[in-house]
Amino acid sequence: MAKFIARCIFFGFVFFLCFELLVRAFHLHNQRPIRYLDEQDVEKWVPHQEGYSVVGNRRQNVGHYRINSFGFNSVYDSYRPKESEKSVALIGDSFIEGFHQDFDNSLGQKIEGKLKSNSKVFEFGYAGYDFADQLHLIHSYSVLFDDMDQVLIYMRFIDDLERSEYEVSSRLSLDTPISRLAKHFKSIVYLKDIGLLDPVTHAISKLGNLRAKNRVSDSTEETESDITFARIQNFKDLVDFYDYDKSKNVLLVDYRLCPSEFLDFLKENEFKTIDFGESLARSKSPTDLIYDQHWNDHGRELIAKEIANYLNNFD
Amino acid sequence: MLFNSLDFFIFLPIVYICYWAFLRKTGQRNVLLVISSYIFYGWWDYRFLSLILISTLIDFFVGQAVYNSNSVSKKRLFVSISVCLNLGILGFFKYFNFFVDSFLDSIRFFGIQMEPSWTLNVILPVGISFYTFQTLSYTLDIYRGKLQPTHNFISFAAFVAFFPQLVAGPIERASNLLPQISRTRVFRYNQQVEGLRLMLWGLFKKVAIADSLAPIVDDIFLNHAAYPSSTLLLGAIFFGFQIYGDFSGYSDIAIGTAKLFGIELMSNFKFPYFSRDIAEFWRRWHISLSTWFRDYLYIPLGGSRVKKILTIRNVFIIFLVSGLWHGANWTFVVWGLLHAVLFLPLFFLKSNRRYLDTPNVLNSVHTFFSEVPRILWTFAMVTFGWIFFRSESLGEAVHYFQGMFDFSWDSYLHPRGYRMIDYFILLICFVLFEYFIRKDERNPLGFSHRSIRWASYCLLMFLIILFYDDGVDRSFIYFQF
Repeated sequence: MAKFIARCIFFGFVFFLCFELLVRAFHLHNQRPIRYLDEQDVEKWVPHQEGYSVVGNRRQNVGHYRINSFGFNSVYDSYRPKESEKSVALIGDSFIEGFHQDFDNSLGQKIEGKLKSNSKVFEFGYAGYDFADQLHLIHSYSVLFDDMDQVLIYMRFIDDLERSEYEVSSRLSLDTPISRLAKHFKSIVYLKDIGLLDPVTHAISKLGNLRAKNRVSDSTEETESDITFARIQNFKDLVDFYDYDKSKNVLLVDYRLCPSEFLDFLKENEFKTIDFGESLARSKSPTDLIYDQHWNDHGRELIAKEIANYLNNFD
Repeated sequence: MLFNSLDFFIFLPIVYICYWAFLRKTGQRNVLLVISSYIFYGWWDYRFLSLILISTLIDFFVGQAVYNSNSVSKKRLFVSISVCLNLGILGFFKYFNFFVDSFLDSIRFFGIQMEPSWTLNVILPVGISFYTFQTLSYTLDIYRGKLQPTHNFISFAAFVAFFPQLVAGPIERASNLLPQISRTRVFRYNQQVEGLRLMLWGLFKKVAIADSLAPIVDDIFLNHAAYPSSTLLLGAIFFGFQIYGDFSGYSDIAIGTAKLFGIELMSNFKFPYFSRDIAEFWRRWHISLSTWFRDYLYIPLGGSRVKKILTIRNVFIIFLVSGLWHGANWTFVVWGLLHAVLFLPLFFLKSNRRYLDTPNVLNSVHTFFSEVPRILWTFAMVTFGWIFFRSESLGEAVHYFQGMFDFSWDSYLHPRGYRMIDYFILLICFVLFEYFIRKDERNPLGFSHRSIRWASYCLLMFLIILFYDDGVDRSFIYFQF
């Protein structure tokens, strides 16, 4: 029996080695840059990282990313707006960050290609950024954003208005020393990403996370209108606190994800908006990727057209 | 507890180590088998353990009563008690609503309206069809004088509830399994290795073949009205592979797991899609069920040794019952009858036992051209039948067929956007591999060269991971039967 168990363990080790080699050879694993908190308490990616974001068991979607010196995924290595050209800042979450596409085929690049004037679009996308993160970023780098002609803020009403003030998020805790160590084993990264380790992680979290369960049950007691009201209130608090510049900032919204109360509020208070939801809804071919909820190339093309139209007319 | 779950991957090593390392006596090991089997089953729903216990108690005592009875009439009485109670429980949980609904439908046909107030919200206990048939075979074998009853209740309880095959077979005969449980089991290295190989092969068929095809099949059958003929054909073929991968995968894992405990279960599948006619298909598909019906229904009814008309009746009865065994739905009845209709011509031409060997299509050009068309034709007929098996109702099956004969064509896109070519390549490689290992279904990865063996293990594990889909329901199709 001892021989049998020893051989099983030995085979497991050999398989793990072979598997690690195969995952690396075919680049099946997803690469994720390292996060950090800069001196302004702004959460970003550590500059000058490059890699491939891979989705699915069999490389169903691959995106090439390059983190610039400022800490965002962009074709530009640094953000230096010039007076001779029009500068547009595009801020948002993973939709703007665009790890699901090549960095040189991003939404910002598509907009840039469609603008009439000599313009540059600087992207400030970071997965999980909400409205508080975005306004904190603008506030912290006010010198840079003052030089921008337009600032486009992508906001998802259903995700991005859950808090009324900025504080450093718990996202940074995702980069623990253990997770950094585990990243060296590409096979583990791959197995985790395709969900094969989910039963293990679920079992562990089930044992230790009863508190979170209570929190979820509390939140379900709120009605839809309570939530909408609270989100609008959070929006008001944030724009007041950060002295939101209505002349320069433009909200990029999908009307399908916004309640009418919020849209009415924006209109009444003269917040500039670009609604791309209608052009996405009109599209006959799919606008989202199949493997996740992000926009596909066609979706980005439609949104870029919408934004470029707005900016060209603005000129 | 599912074989392909984390729970089982923790449960099995614990039971295995306790079984071989800490317990030496057969009695102790059997107690462990009973406890672990009840935990295994109770993991799903502990309330239904009572049904297994009732079934075990009935047949344990009835078996002894049958054996000890002097007169045939008494023996018959006791056997009838066992049959009635076992089939009564099975009938109530599995067929009660079906018969009530069918009765109401039939009287509605004559214009009588009745409210369906008799139907109950009955949950079908997992594996009830399997262990009921297994316990029944014990009493029936004693009645027919083929087996002596056991006096050890623990051994008998272990035979009924032996966890590797408890919920989806193979439906074991007491004459094969009970003596193995009763005698001392010795740790044999080769048996353990074969067990692990079978488990790996079964897991590959379940995860890489059945589970990966499931979303495609579900999508096509659910939206069949919207798809062209080519897609419907694809759906039917893929379902054929899905159900084969699912059920034979389960059986292989069950047989492999039993081997780890030193017990040999009967084979349940022998590469059925290489069958050259329907008769051969039934000698290779769900063998434990088809031989059960042959031994306990077909032969007692007279088999083929009675008048031709009675033989035809017997053939229809076993296919009909075999269809109904799968589920309380008319689709299964039609599926069974369809196979009966396909089988009868072979029977009349006395060619139903023509193919008893393994197909060898690559032996010569002649055998290639004579066997391959037969294999394809049989596969086509079986696939045709699967449409009834998979459809929710007869109406849906008929619509599916109508759609198939539109002769329209269009490319099909995976519902989750995966590349379809991956699945075609996988299935072609799977069929070719099955062809090369077709002579020994119990040792699929037993290559003589160690390097090839180990490479095949690695390759299978790699494919399991590559085709693993965390979005599918991982339970086994045959659990519902």
